[in-house]
Amino acid sequence: MGDLVDSMLDLMRRLPPAQVEENVASLVAMCPDYADDLLGSVDQPLKVMTDRATGRDYLACDYNRDGESYRSPWSNEYDPPIEDGTVPSPRLRKLEITANEAFDTYREMYYEGGVSSVFLWDLDDGGFAGVVLLKKVLTASSPSEPSGSWDSIHVFEAAERGRQAHYKLTSTIMLQMTNRAVTVAGKNEKGKENGPGDTNREGEVMLSGSMTRQSEQDLPLQDQSSHISNTGRMIEEMEIKMRNLLQEVYFGKTRDIVFDLRSIDDLEKARRQRDLQKELVGFIKR
Amino acid sequence: MDATERLQAASKFLLQSPPGEINDVLNDVRNIISDDDSLQEGVLPALREYNLAQFTTADVPGHNHQSIVSEAARISNLAGGSEDGEEHLDRFWDPRSRTSFRFDHLSLETSDPEHIEPDAESEPFRAALETAAIAYLSAHFHDAVTSVFPTAGITTRFYVQVVANKYNPSNYWSGRWRSEYVVDLEAKQLKGRILVNVHYYEQGNVQLSTTHSVDLDLPPAISPSSAASSANKILALIEAEESKYQASLNDAYADMGEKTFKGLRRALPMTRSKLDWDRVLGYKLGAELSSNRGTFGSP
Repeated sequence: MGDLVDSMLDLMRRLPPAQVEENVASLVAMCPDYADDLLGSVDQPLKVMTDRATGRDYLACDYNRDGESYRSPWSNEYDPPIEDGTVPSPRLRKLEITANEAFDTYREMYYEGGVSSVFLWDLDDGGFAGVVLLKKVLTASSPSEPSGSWDSIHVFEAAERGRQAHYKLTSTIMLQMTNRAVTVAGKNEKGKENGPGDTNREGEVMLSGSMTRQSEQDLPLQDQSSHISNTGRMIEEMEIKMRNLLQEVYFGKTRDIVFDLRSIDDLEKARRQRDLQKELVGFIKR
Repeated sequence: MDATERLQAASKFLLQSPPGEINDVLNDVRNIISDDDSLQEGVLPALREYNLAQFTTADVPGHNHQSIVSEAARISNLAGGSEDGEEHLDRFWDPRSRTSFRFDHLSLETSDPEHIEPDAESEPFRAALETAAIAYLSAHFHDAVTSVFPTAGITTRFYVQVVANKYNPSNYWSGRWRSEYVVDLEAKQLKGRILVNVHYYEQGNVQLSTTHSVDLDLPPAISPSSAASSANKILALIEAEESKYQASLNDAYADMGEKTFKGLRRALPMTRSKLDWDRVLGYKLGAELSSNRGTFGSP
């Protein structure tokens, strides 16, 4: 029943992104037979876990999950521990370790904080696939400070073709930002006078959502570590592109729609001015 | 999950519908529940709640304007709430045309119009507020609907409600502006709230959701005896509040762009250039080699 999954995915594209976890949980409870389809296709905010062996934080998602346990990229161990949990082949694990170090540098350069994790897995046709995860959260130190979170999920497939490799990349970025404002009795939170009168104001502005984009590329392969620089460049390029796109949609499009609903300028006045102008033009022509 | 719980979950989904997309959400939910008979009955309370909360607009039968379907628009308010039952649950009224009608929460169609006589004492002030509200709408909204309702049993309290919708499914966006003000001439107070929702869903799902509440004192000159001038003053206060709020949204956008967005991820690293991936890998390798050399080389 493909159209049932389509309906669930359509629903997730419409309901508020800020409630995605709750809504996915409801759908899974409603249609338990489709849980895997749903969890595999709907991106949810990444969970931060701490590796018990190394003390380092890592990210949990469907790609490093086995049953109820999650594998750490740092120690390769599952938490809670399980026997025979899926792990990459030794050759791929070696690449995974290097990839985690490289993207940790990338994370520090662009995010100046946050957490990153890379997971790789072998594909049946001899190639491999992987996911690069990045997350950063800004917590408000006071109610009037802005808060937000950024989650990047880059899933890729690599197929070696001689001295080249073909890469398919699907990137999703989830971004959420909240701003709160409180004014009590004509004073704002800094205690400054905010106009006359006994006025209390309170408000919240929340922007939340996710966007997904794909790209494909053939890139030269010198040795195994080329996979990391190749996917690294593709992901960097994609994040730069998507950051611009997010900026445009979050700060441009949604704002334009609000200003399409209501105009600060007096439309009636503008209408009258236009009519007057028309009249004048008609008068001059005469 | 039993049938009741499934309907409850479905109702929760419906209540979260973005502007203008309730039918799309209902279609999805219908497919997921796949039991049309129980669905139709089961989600009616959610559809009713959604329509009332979202200030759904209705074509007033026999008139060329629309009015708002909301809690304040219920006909049972007029009868003092003594008559209830299904029939009264879905009967609303439009004070402007003095018409009451039945509202279908699924088709959003109106039927069965009846003339209704408003309360004689509060009607002059209500009508003055309505005239001023309609003038305000034409000055600041491209396409919006307003309704002004009296309060049953209290001749000095009124609800001014405004809703503006823009649905553009071919360009994957929709938006809704709702505002509501309770004018209390006795307490000389104006309590209001503004709610904005925007959905942008081209290759993604991005939503803006804002809330704003305001609580201010009415100037002393406002009184029921000077209806027209008082109503104009009240709408001038509302106009000032909403314009100020809209301008403050610009500040919130700027704030989030400067602080939050940049704080989450830089456009480029400090070095102002993209990463040199060969060097990133080389550094790691080099660091490994030199640390190895360290252990073997030094005495």
